[in-house]
Amino acid sequence: MNLTYLRIDLVRQLRDVANVAFVVGLPVAMYIIFGSTFGAGGESAGNGNVRFYVMTSMAVYGASVATTSVAGMAAIELMQGWGRQLGLTRMRPTGYVATKVVVALTVAGGGVTAVYVAGALTGARADTPWVWVSTFLIAWLGSALFAMYGLAVAQTFKSESAVSVAAAGLVLLAFFGNLFVTLSGTMLEVARFTPMYGYAGLMRYPLTEGTTVGGSDDSLPMLILNYVVWAVVFATVAVWATRRGRNRL
Amino acid sequence: MSTPALRLQSLRKVFTTHDGPLPAVDGIDVEIAQGEIVAFLGPNGAGKTTTLDIVLGLTDPTSGVVEVLGKPPRAAVNAGQVSAVLQSGGLLRDLRVDETVRAIAALNGATDRVDDAMRRAGIAGLAHRKVGACSGGEQQRLRFALALLPDPQLLVLDEPTAGMDAAARRDFWETMRTETHHGRTVLFATHYLEEAQAYAPHTILLDRGKVVADGPTDELRNLVGDRRVTATLPDDEVDTALEKLRGVAGVRQVWQEGARVVVTGTSSDDVARLLLTTLRGRDLEVGAPSLESAFFALTQEVEKS
Repeated sequence: MNLTYLRIDLVRQLRDVANVAFVVGLPVAMYIIFGSTFGAGGESAGNGNVRFYVMTSMAVYGASVATTSVAGMAAIELMQGWGRQLGLTRMRPTGYVATKVVVALTVAGGGVTAVYVAGALTGARADTPWVWVSTFLIAWLGSALFAMYGLAVAQTFKSESAVSVAAAGLVLLAFFGNLFVTLSGTMLEVARFTPMYGYAGLMRYPLTEGTTVGGSDDSLPMLILNYVVWAVVFATVAVWATRRGRNRL
Repeated sequence: MSTPALRLQSLRKVFTTHDGPLPAVDGIDVEIAQGEIVAFLGPNGAGKTTTLDIVLGLTDPTSGVVEVLGKPPRAAVNAGQVSAVLQSGGLLRDLRVDETVRAIAALNGATDRVDDAMRRAGIAGLAHRKVGACSGGEQQRLRFALALLPDPQLLVLDEPTAGMDAAARRDFWETMRTETHHGRTVLFATHYLEEAQAYAPHTILLDRGKVVADGPTDELRNLVGDRRVTATLPDDEVDTALEKLRGVAGVRQVWQEGARVVVTGTSSDDVARLLLTTLRGRDLEVGAPSLESAFFALTQEVEKS
């Protein structure tokens, strides 16, 4: 991986004001709004308080937006001819992927960190430091799933606006992922099969140990299964769409 | 004998389409010596870009041999021996000009050549401008700077002036000329016949994936051989003059354009002599045939065969 190239690409991402606003600004703002709405009295939620619960949810949302847009735009920039330009250098496709992984993780990490800092400053509490660390790491690294989602959308529709729509559509997935409001009943049953549910549930596991606010329990294997199945689905679509685009005029 | 800059042998590339296999490149044999300036001339869909993609290692051929300075294309790219100005696209609009050059320079291991490449491509003054804010001509100069970074022995230009206005086109070629004085081999694809005529001593004519003609650009023009002779004749003798001109062997067409007669054919010397002596013509002009007419004649021959 080339560090100069990485630095230039990172600076470019950070210059994109709209992107930074959606990855950092929006989750922090929503945390402050939802956190003080639902957790003003310091109510507890599992191994932490409600503010902590809201904080982690918003971190998951922000990280997902980050990886979706970085991966989606990477696919688009390759299609628009930048890939041909890079093909005339010593950089190999693996080097490009590695660079974009670092960029996506850096942007996602920035989003998660911003929400966690806002949480720490405004009364989000967990029983042990382990809950802070484990939820942070899962929220951050688990967002790789949405890099595949961004890639799948970009390869299928091949347009910048499709990637924007995909990133905006995360609001809906986040809703079904139990991130904004606590679902119950039929909605919860449906939500269990949506892409952000497993990721959010896994991240929250150290905090709630599987108990949903809606009342029923999530088992760890089911959450892992959800995550893995969606990862396979997104990856398969991305690979299929990429193959379809190749060897054709 | 030195290694050719480029050798293509029985090169084929077949794409799969809805209507079955489409041979974009259909058995091309080409050899280009080092230091040559060569035009790949052909209409859209002739297979120019596909061939150049294979030369640059961006696409693998379906079959055939491709050697760039005696190596596989990928090895030549890695060694910085070949680079290209690609057809439109290929730039990130939200990067600045200098960032673009530095990023590609870093990937080519040529960070020390950044300033030099920008100066030579004439974009040193645009360093801090966003790529998206640059004009088409300026973006093309940026692509040219990127191509100069590895200091390549073979420079490939894929329709380098497409979409430029006449002035920008002339400026671009002016820059190119100074760059190619130093023994660089240049291969450019174009569908502007004048560009091949003006800048490439050697032209390879492509049509539907095949080489239609390959040789010195001047010879290609002579392959058809027609010249155009025009002169002004005394008013009262025009009709008889036209008759006499039609009688000259090798004359293809004779017609009147205002006060002047126009004669096309292979026997321009005989026509000129006749016009200036017996016919008392004035203001005689003899024009070389355009590559365009050569091109149409040659591609039509292929169609007939």
